[in-house]
Amino acid sequence: MAPPAARPSMNVWCDLVQGLVWAFGLVFACLAMQARAATQELREAQATVAVQGLTTRQTVSLPYHWDQQHRGQSGSATFDLTFQTKALPTVSYGLYVPRLGNAYEIWLNGALLQRNGDLQRFNGPDYAKEPHYIAISPGLLRPDNLLHVRIRADVGRRGGLALVTLGPEEEVQALFRHEYLWRTAGSSAVVILSLLVGLGALALWATQVDPSVSGRRKRPRRDRLYLFAGVAELCWTVSVSDAIIESPPLPWPWWGMVVITAAIVWVCSMTLFCVEVANWSRLPAVKWLRRWLAFLLAISGAASFGALVAGYPVMLTILYATSGLTSLVFVALFMHKAVRGASRLHRWVAVALLLNTLVGLRDIYAFRIGPAYGENTWLRYSSVLFGLALAYIVILRFRTASRQVRELMANMAAQVSQKEHALQQSYQRVEQLAREQERVSERTRVLRDMHDGVGSHISTAIHQLQSGRASREEVLHTLRDSLDQLKLSIDAMHLPPGDINALLANIRYRLEPRFLACGITLQWDVDLLEPIARVDAHAMRQLQFMLFEALSNVLQHAQASSLSMAAHPVGLLGLGARVKIIDNGRGYDVAQARRNGLLSMQQRATALGMVLRLDSAPGRTVVEITID
Amino acid sequence: MREFFAASVSRCSELLLAGSVGTVAAAKAWLDDDDNTVDVLLADLGLPDGSGLEVIRHAVALHPRCEPLVISMFGDEDNVLASIEAGALGYIHKDSAPEDIAQTILAMRAGESPISPMIARRVLSKYRSDQASKEQGLVEKTSPSPFNGSAQNDGAGAPRGLLSPREQEVLAFIARGFSYSEIARLQDVSVHTVQSHIKNLYAKLSVHSKSEAVFEATRMGLLPRHG
Repeated sequence: MAPPAARPSMNVWCDLVQGLVWAFGLVFACLAMQARAATQELREAQATVAVQGLTTRQTVSLPYHWDQQHRGQSGSATFDLTFQTKALPTVSYGLYVPRLGNAYEIWLNGALLQRNGDLQRFNGPDYAKEPHYIAISPGLLRPDNLLHVRIRADVGRRGGLALVTLGPEEEVQALFRHEYLWRTAGSSAVVILSLLVGLGALALWATQVDPSVSGRRKRPRRDRLYLFAGVAELCWTVSVSDAIIESPPLPWPWWGMVVITAAIVWVCSMTLFCVEVANWSRLPAVKWLRRWLAFLLAISGAASFGALVAGYPVMLTILYATSGLTSLVFVALFMHKAVRGASRLHRWVAVALLLNTLVGLRDIYAFRIGPAYGENTWLRYSSVLFGLALAYIVILRFRTASRQVRELMANMAAQVSQKEHALQQSYQRVEQLAREQERVSERTRVLRDMHDGVGSHISTAIHQLQSGRASREEVLHTLRDSLDQLKLSIDAMHLPPGDINALLANIRYRLEPRFLACGITLQWDVDLLEPIARVDAHAMRQLQFMLFEALSNVLQHAQASSLSMAAHPVGLLGLGARVKIIDNGRGYDVAQARRNGLLSMQQRATALGMVLRLDSAPGRTVVEITID
Repeated sequence: MREFFAASVSRCSELLLAGSVGTVAAAKAWLDDDDNTVDVLLADLGLPDGSGLEVIRHAVALHPRCEPLVISMFGDEDNVLASIEAGALGYIHKDSAPEDIAQTILAMRAGESPISPMIARRVLSKYRSDQASKEQGLVEKTSPSPFNGSAQNDGAGAPRGLLSPREQEVLAFIARGFSYSEIARLQDVSVHTVQSHIKNLYAKLSVHSKSEAVFEATRMGLLPRHG
């Protein structure tokens, strides 16, 4: 397959422009809301600042950004702000300070309005993070007023005093609510969202395993895209949570170092996440990128230490600037690929990346270089775009997986149907083979019957005629035997296996006319016998042969006048049978007979597990077959 | 084969050959002719234009006093049974000796009906199986059958119903190989009584309408279930 055309398409530009317009629209909307109503702003104060035992007194303009005024030093300060109220208000007044602290007390005309934190305990809880609104009862205000503010400021913690706004409660509270919404509530929302996205991404990383692809260590491969996204989002959770946690789990400045490092991890992980999205992980250049990011991560600790402990905030500024530049270079490459026919996902992530980089640079300028104080970083909000991009990836993959599953199911259904068809055909073949086998064995049985019975008798008749020694009666006897054998063999096909009564009845039915013709009277002494299970169709036919042989001998040789056929049950339960053929003929020498005609009877009986007993004397010959 | 049987009949002084035809159509035409009377009909089943069963049914319908005999091959109990249901009162083997043929005809006229142990066993086994089914309520009560005891009158007005215990006993003895005289002795009755049991049996087995015959034959498993 040829790759998509490298030429930037209209769609790409549309996506990019659309994304940017949307993002900047959001930002401008925020700015517009900051338009302030006409209230009194206190921009100047008489400050008494104590740093390292040295106290100075001077007039300062607000906002007073402690870290910029006293780099790398903690201390305390007192601000006296005077203002006049020409006409004493009749409605409640309010005071709004976007940033104040790290610990503070506010007094108005000698009355304490609010106190937060311990002014003496440096690196304690930080109350400068939230915007402050303090209600002022109208009775406290005079024509000339003194607002007395005392603060404690820690190193690198953005302590100080922001512009103070005074005015009617309604207007001032509106300013406070707007700021509170964006800074505190917004940050909380970002923290919760990042936490959820991070945990979700890590869960996906842990569970979405491709078992078909094994790594170098023969372990199932997990998708690193989810890992990077998960780590980034969790680190971002930590980093942004600093904006709402007044009492951090670690003491300052260690907590500050954790927050800074978490932010750098977020940058690195998000960069690697973008690498995975662009499918660049195997590019040689990425190896250098990874090294560079590892370097950034390594120096983040040092830079934060330098800024927060050693008192060199410039190190943090350099760290942030390096991260920002790194992102800028990366975003340029990423955008370059995005506009050259990359996937829709790549383009969306490119928009998120570009926006975050620009916003990040703006924040670096505003907070590290510019005079901004008491404002919000924008990056915490723009970072949500990465979470959305990840959600988009998950939805996209889920949709693809669903489609694949559907296709797989359809494919499997088709295969099952195919297998069923093949199985059915196989069954038919097996059935056909079984039928064929049955036919073959039936044919073999019939052929053997014909050979042993009819065939053998006809051969004998031919031999008798050829030798010329046999009488006409003898030949006739042989031929009649042959015909009877034929009838018996056909009858045998219908005999129920094991039914000795039916077998004997059938033999009598077929042979009695011949006995009558020979003047032999027949006594029938056959009891009702239980069917014998082990006497199958083959055994029935063999038994039939043996009995026929015995009866034929009587007809041909015995010169008997009476024949008795008897059958009685044997065995304790009567489940066996004993059949006797007794004639009153001249008898024969049993030993001699064995050698001639009755040998085959003996063989058949032995083969079937039956007992054949011959007993002959002139006047009484008994052939006895016992089936146990 | 036809000439052999015709000659066998002609040779016997006690028998008069009324006619001899080779097809179902000719046989029916001959039977339809009022000038022709017949006491005994010998019918082969494999005729060029149809089955001898048709001829037997036709003869029984037109001449109720006619006693049909079917000419059978050995080992062909199925067709013998079907013939009995069509109205045949006995059978003669194709390989019988000429004198045996005449003897069988005369014996039948005298009240005998031959039945082999094989057929007796088949009839008995089928009867018992039907009775068992009936006890389980599986046999429809309205189904015409000589076995299920629906004592309804058929077209010819002959009563048909259950085989009596004595008839069943006779059948069982025949199936075990006993001769009529041995059965008579065992049951302490005359041979003639045994013979009449057999003849009654034949009457009970017969089905006089074609549809009943087909139904019965199919039900007994003698004809394939199709059409």
